[in-house]
Amino acid sequence: MTRDGFAGLATRLLQIRGINMRARSWCSLLILTLSVSLLAWGQDAKPQSIPNSGGDFSNNMHPETKVPPGVILVKGAWSSASDSVTPVPEGGSVTNNVFNNQYFGMSYALPSDWTEKYKGPPPSESGRYVLAQIRPADTFKGRDRGSILITAQDMFFTPLPVTNALELINYSKDHLQADYKVEMPPTQTKIADRAFTFFAYWSPVAQLHWYVLAAQIRCHAVQIVLTSRDTKLLESLILDMNKMKVPAQNNPTASTGSAVPVCIKDYASDNNVSARVDPVFTEHRFNSVPVRITIDKEGKVKHIHFLSAFPDQAKAISDALLQWRFKRYLQNGQPVEVETGIMFGRALLPTTAAAASAMTQ
Amino acid sequence: MINTGKLASVLTLVVVFLASVTLAQTDPGVQSASRGTGATIINPANDPNGFTAFFQDGLVRFQELENVSNATNVGLGPRFNSNQCSSCHAQPAIGGSSSAVNPQFAFAGSSVAPDSTTPYFITANGPTREARFPFFFNSNGTADTSAPNGGVEDLFTVTGRSDAGSCSLPQPSFAAAQAANNIIFRIPTPVFGAGLIENLDDSTLLKNQATNLDNKFGIAGTFNHNGNDGTISRFGWKAQNKSLHIFAGEAYNVEMGITNLLFPQDRPLPGEDQQGTGLPANCLNLSGSGYPEDTNNPPATGATGAAVLDDVSAFANFMRFLAPPPTAGVVLNGSSVSASSIAAGSSLFSAIGCATCHNPTPGTTQVSNFVPALSKAQVPAFSDIEIHHMGTGLADNVSQGGAGGDQFRTAPLWGLGQRIFLLHDGRTTNLITAIQDHASHGSEATTVEENFFDLNSTQQQEVLDFLRSL
Repeated sequence: MTRDGFAGLATRLLQIRGINMRARSWCSLLILTLSVSLLAWGQDAKPQSIPNSGGDFSNNMHPETKVPPGVILVKGAWSSASDSVTPVPEGGSVTNNVFNNQYFGMSYALPSDWTEKYKGPPPSESGRYVLAQIRPADTFKGRDRGSILITAQDMFFTPLPVTNALELINYSKDHLQADYKVEMPPTQTKIADRAFTFFAYWSPVAQLHWYVLAAQIRCHAVQIVLTSRDTKLLESLILDMNKMKVPAQNNPTASTGSAVPVCIKDYASDNNVSARVDPVFTEHRFNSVPVRITIDKEGKVKHIHFLSAFPDQAKAISDALLQWRFKRYLQNGQPVEVETGIMFGRALLPTTAAAASAMTQ
Repeated sequence: MINTGKLASVLTLVVVFLASVTLAQTDPGVQSASRGTGATIINPANDPNGFTAFFQDGLVRFQELENVSNATNVGLGPRFNSNQCSSCHAQPAIGGSSSAVNPQFAFAGSSVAPDSTTPYFITANGPTREARFPFFFNSNGTADTSAPNGGVEDLFTVTGRSDAGSCSLPQPSFAAAQAANNIIFRIPTPVFGAGLIENLDDSTLLKNQATNLDNKFGIAGTFNHNGNDGTISRFGWKAQNKSLHIFAGEAYNVEMGITNLLFPQDRPLPGEDQQGTGLPANCLNLSGSGYPEDTNNPPATGATGAAVLDDVSAFANFMRFLAPPPTAGVVLNGSSVSASSIAAGSSLFSAIGCATCHNPTPGTTQVSNFVPALSKAQVPAFSDIEIHHMGTGLADNVSQGGAGGDQFRTAPLWGLGQRIFLLHDGRTTNLITAIQDHASHGSEATTVEENFFDLNSTQQQEVLDFLRSL
């Protein structure tokens, strides 16, 4: 019965019995009471009170903890490693205005009045790292601003048709967009007692100049990209780069002084893998998962570095890779550690194939 | 007696100050002159299958007011953000984004949402918004950062409406979410030109990605993928929706609470779903029509032509056949900006790296089975449709598909000249602020943002003028 039904019934009872006014008052009160009771009984007729805290609701207007601002807590595919001790390419940082990167054995004292205001993004699935992005500090007094971008391209995973830093720079020159003009074609030079390829181009409309230094360091093409309208500023920055510390070209060592593994692309091919276990994925995903591994002198996987993977993918691949066994790699008759890359998940379309595919559409 | 030396100094300072004000770059702001945005892409003279009628039908339905029950258009609720597609997609024409007057501000206490209160972030002239809690709340009322939520927390309920029976629901705890820093916002994405984006083949997008790999800006995006077939998804702030049908169906269900062919159940709040409580029985099937509330209209219902379609299909057709926003001249401080300045801005936009992500022409569409206008057409979207890491400054800690909490689709910039609110949450109306916000820890756009500020003031102004010409 509805609320109207109960109230109507009580009214009809009063009319039937001819009750006096005082009694009518009591009856009115009864009707009111009944109606109120029914409102309470039928909870769906009254707006619900705020539920207890949990889910979408909270009664706590003064929480002891808050979600920290400026922190990415929910990540997509991201970088990770099997241990936190072994240096990884993205592990560098600027501390006390000095850029240090243990993996690449690089150290670079920033010019005065320059700073790394913002850290770079995580590594990409194509093997691109932003190692540092440096810009003028608030105290900068120069005529024109500029930037110093230090990147690395993992040559195990690049879809570009290049195998080393020199080829990468030549590719850049050959594929320069119409916005730019070459100022200096790729040229060999020496910076900090190490061979670099230097390449310069500029934008006539923006009056911006790009000076690029590139070197092959430990399986990667490391590029230092300097940008400004002021070429004198760029020249001074290039000269300043001579104070940079980089590993010797023919004797690469980690910053600790120990020998670094030998870089061999595609070492995890059938001929070199003596025991292989496929990862068991728990979710169907569609991303590329570039994985860089270090193989010890016994042929076991010593270190696993995911450039970009969801946590469930990293777990499944780690569980599998730790069971892989490789042929020992010998150098001068002695077994040495090997660094190589394996692409799981969706393979990246090589640049040339992507262009050809689109042209046939 | 006047100290002439001091006077000269003061005058000099004033002149220098005024000069600096004149030189400082200015966002020309929303361009008010009509550009003809909102027209259909279909050429009526070249529409062999008669899809113009479907566009017109979709346009009408896009503006229909939805009710809970006992009316022509029913199914609204039990929770909703608005009761009409065009109330959110309004600026500068139907199909756009937030208008200058926020219709949501008038809902609470009116017949639309009598017993709801207006959330603190909904203002009379602020952006139309939806809200999400990145994390579920613990039982003690703090945000549980180990329990990602990220679903839409609808702003209003049907409680108290005369057409909603006894359904009574509380609104999510927006104020407490603010206190816990556990709330983010999204504004509507404009859908002009959406049919062109839908009709881009994956291989075209992959080619663009490959072409851009060698940039010197530190940019390296990826794509969000559809979980069913693995192909590139492309609609929504994180490119989480594969097609316009999915986009419309999800919005109808999530923003208005209307069940449909693609989303056939009434939607509880994310926490009600997580905890298994769902919606109370007296808040289900409020329309009395059964599920889904939006379905086809067979000829037996009297429908003919485009009217036989369900609403979601009609909405998809409307969006599919909306033309891209036309470009136009720009007025800055009451004066027309020269065409040469806008052209220079376009070149600068490309040279400093903006166009690496905001690709002016991501390609040519594949052959369309709808209308010739969607076939082999250039797509001047100013987007690569990729998702990029945008850093801590823009991150919302909401994951959608393969996109993480800091990844967003490159927002298409066509129509930017008449957009009022900018960025995914409408946090600013100023282009310069929006550009600055591209730089933060972990953003792929930091170097390009620096390049913009490396330009001189005149050049920066040209870029801003160009952007408002779109």
